[in-house]
Amino acid sequence: MKILTCLKQVPDSTTKIKVAADARSVVTEGITWSISPYDEYAVELALEHKDGDPATTVSAVSVGPARAKDALRAALAMGCDDATLVTGDGVENATAAEIAAALAAVVTDLAPELVVCGKQASDDDQGLVGPALADLLGWPHVALVTKFAAAGGGLEIWKEVEGGHEVWKATGPVVLTVQKSAKEPRYPSLPGIMKAKKKEIPERAFAATDGPRTLVTRLEPPPQRGAGKILKDGDPAGLATELVALLRDEAKVL
Amino acid sequence: MNAPTEGAGAVVLLVVALAGFGAFAYRTGKLYRYLRLGRNEDRTDRPRRRLRDELVIYLLQGKLFKRPYLVRGLAHAFIFWGFIVITVGTADLLLNGIFKARVPGTESAAFVWLVDVFAFLVLASIALAAVRRLFFKPPRMHIALDGYVILGLIATLMVSLVVFESAGIAADLVATGQTAPPLAGLFAPLLRGPAAGAVFALSWWVHVVTVLAFAAYLPQSKHLHIVTTLPNVYFRSQRPRGALALIPDIEEQESFGASGLRDLSWKQHLDGYTCTECGRCSDSCPAAATGKPLDPQKIVLDLRDLLLAEGDLLLKDPAAAGTAPAHQTATKPEELWGCTTCAACVEACPVTIEHIDKIVDLRRSLTMMESAAPPEAQRAMTNIERAGNPWGEAADTRGAWAEGLGIPTYADAPEAEYLYFVGCAASFDRRNQRVAKALARILAAAGVSFAILAKEETCNGDPARRIGNEYLWQQQAKRNIETFDRYKVRKVIASCPHCFNTIANEYPQLGGSYEVVHALQLVERLLAEGRIALGAGAAETVAYHDPCYLGRHNGIYEQPREVLDRMPGVRRIEVEPHHRERGFCCGAGGGRMWMEEKTGERINHRRVDQIVAAGRAQGAPPATVASGCPFCLIMLDEGVGAKGIGDSLKPVDVLELVAARLSPAGTPATSEKGAAPG
Repeated sequence: MKILTCLKQVPDSTTKIKVAADARSVVTEGITWSISPYDEYAVELALEHKDGDPATTVSAVSVGPARAKDALRAALAMGCDDATLVTGDGVENATAAEIAAALAAVVTDLAPELVVCGKQASDDDQGLVGPALADLLGWPHVALVTKFAAAGGGLEIWKEVEGGHEVWKATGPVVLTVQKSAKEPRYPSLPGIMKAKKKEIPERAFAATDGPRTLVTRLEPPPQRGAGKILKDGDPAGLATELVALLRDEAKVL
Repeated sequence: MNAPTEGAGAVVLLVVALAGFGAFAYRTGKLYRYLRLGRNEDRTDRPRRRLRDELVIYLLQGKLFKRPYLVRGLAHAFIFWGFIVITVGTADLLLNGIFKARVPGTESAAFVWLVDVFAFLVLASIALAAVRRLFFKPPRMHIALDGYVILGLIATLMVSLVVFESAGIAADLVATGQTAPPLAGLFAPLLRGPAAGAVFALSWWVHVVTVLAFAAYLPQSKHLHIVTTLPNVYFRSQRPRGALALIPDIEEQESFGASGLRDLSWKQHLDGYTCTECGRCSDSCPAAATGKPLDPQKIVLDLRDLLLAEGDLLLKDPAAAGTAPAHQTATKPEELWGCTTCAACVEACPVTIEHIDKIVDLRRSLTMMESAAPPEAQRAMTNIERAGNPWGEAADTRGAWAEGLGIPTYADAPEAEYLYFVGCAASFDRRNQRVAKALARILAAAGVSFAILAKEETCNGDPARRIGNEYLWQQQAKRNIETFDRYKVRKVIASCPHCFNTIANEYPQLGGSYEVVHALQLVERLLAEGRIALGAGAAETVAYHDPCYLGRHNGIYEQPREVLDRMPGVRRIEVEPHHRERGFCCGAGGGRMWMEEKTGERINHRRVDQIVAAGRAQGAPPATVASGCPFCLIMLDEGVGAKGIGDSLKPVDVLELVAARLSPAGTPATSEKGAAPG
């Protein structure tokens, strides 16, 4: 099977995000970038399929600035066969529709039978690109996928639902958007890292469109959490009274 | 006494000798070819130290007399020294029996005495060894037929020696002017009579034939260690114990760690031939003691057995890979991941086997070739890569603990004399931040010029290296070395023994050589020089817990104790018998800090039990257990918490005790107040 995984490069979850002076963007200096966590799970699911069926090839694609090549290299190190970067002017402010269109063009060229990506990116949490891509391709889409396997000429797909999962079946090409699954994304082997360093990552031109767009008008950091308070001096009854007073008057939870 | 080999006897003896030594040479030749399957490794540096080791460890049996093995160690030493003396005697017997020649000096009275005395000492020691094996089996000793065969052969040798000497005296075969063996002579009256000559000849032949049978049997047996210990000690690693071997030019390599027997160095295979199966390593292993599948002796013996089983195949077919040692058995990976690299095994081994190097070589294959490190360890490595610390805390906030405390960063104070390398634990773990603050206060009080790197510091790489990710260690190390060199750092203080060890002992492998001290070494010096003074604190009993990477890996036992002893009111107790070089790991080393401990008892819980028991046995239950390592502190904290004794036993870092007692009047010795009128 031929699988395409789409991934986005985002600030790593260990990075402390700071709002920039314009209050509409974040400070990019000092950020560690990595593959968006759900996309990383998508790569892992695709590679697991490849582990079980060596005839499978897994391609990776990202739409983003030049630095997104590092994310693609990380995917190559994990075991993807090849990678493509769609980049160009305006790519950093691309809308979901523009990204989906860029990906659709890649799908047309590479002709995969399956596209997997994360259910949403961890930076803007929009969750639009996967479904938009399916729509452009005219393919079905299954969301919140935790597992898939070839079955009877099609694909059996586990989809997470409240308290359990549903098993779906796809009879042809399909776009899957992936939820966190039981298997953590693999740590790349060193030969994998070395091979990935030497691989060419071809670039395709990104084309911005004139469609309607949304703009971020204001970002603000979450309020600082105050220090906790420990009550320890006094008898139990006095402490209880004090606690109730604090919960009612200060924390306003009673 | 001349050999009873008149006529055809000499020829028969020659044939038997050739058969015996031939069998020895054939088998050892094969073992040598197996050993050379291993990769090359130069072990010829520092020849003087190697000769000194040979003298101390081999000839003087230096590693045998450790607590609690004194009696057995002495018994072994007698057998060994006896073996050396009697081997000269044996050479003389054979030379005399075949060629009627003598080894120079063997006819001297001194030598006759030596052989005679050692024959009885060896016999007594053999009896002790046999009784131990039969009736007081040491818990982890590998008891097999081999051991009894060897004891039987040595006993036969000694008895036949004494019998032929006694019979020789009884038959008046001692030439005039020659010394008769005095102790054997005591038995001569029993053998006097017409048969004495025949008894002499028979027991003489039994003796020499047993010698030759012994030679033939030796290379089939663990007893080969009497031969292989000689080179094994000579070629032992002369790296600092705490340093793992570097993979040079790692970017150019295609294979990492030991995926096959060929990837282990020849010395690792020599270790296998040398293992005496004494079990001292397993006896002292904290993982084995708490029910983990790891057993350091088994690590060594499994590799040896694999080499013996597959050596022929690998020699015949240079393309053959053979069984992957990291998957030799189904539980092998779990055995390997159980190791805390505490070096208790390495310390205990009387023949200088390098257990940790083997375990790490196999881990390297699992981690770098197969990506098969435990998921929690992979998470820790990803965190080190992305955030520069195994916990995945934001790299930017590394220096946050120091804000508002007037602690300079190198960016602000590039002229600082010392770099305080804080480490991940003291930077991010709330409990350990208090230790970093304590050290900062002490340094300030002593007027030591120091600075930290704050967010320019990154994990030293130790956990990655010990998990088997040499590549990540090298990346981290290079990053730090670059930063150190940019600020022209020459002196480094580390409050974490793992930072200390890797910067002091491992960074030089990548060209980063600095003067590195552990904080407790420096504090001891500051106290000795009077640069800080300690006021009276509360009277308390403090148990000292030896961190493995301070103690066993770096030999720093005394200075932390000195610091405790200089504290007014502190009564220090030892966690006997698990203290100093027999200290028991807290369970966090070797990257275990970030792996789950699901099998058996938790190592840190056992450690807390030991501390409590030692206090009780000495009639001085400690209120505090002090250590000098952030990971020990975390583990001990968890241990007392889980056992519900956090109120009666408080884990601390020695630095905290010092900081709490810093006397405000403690004026630096170099203070200008010295000029005040007295």
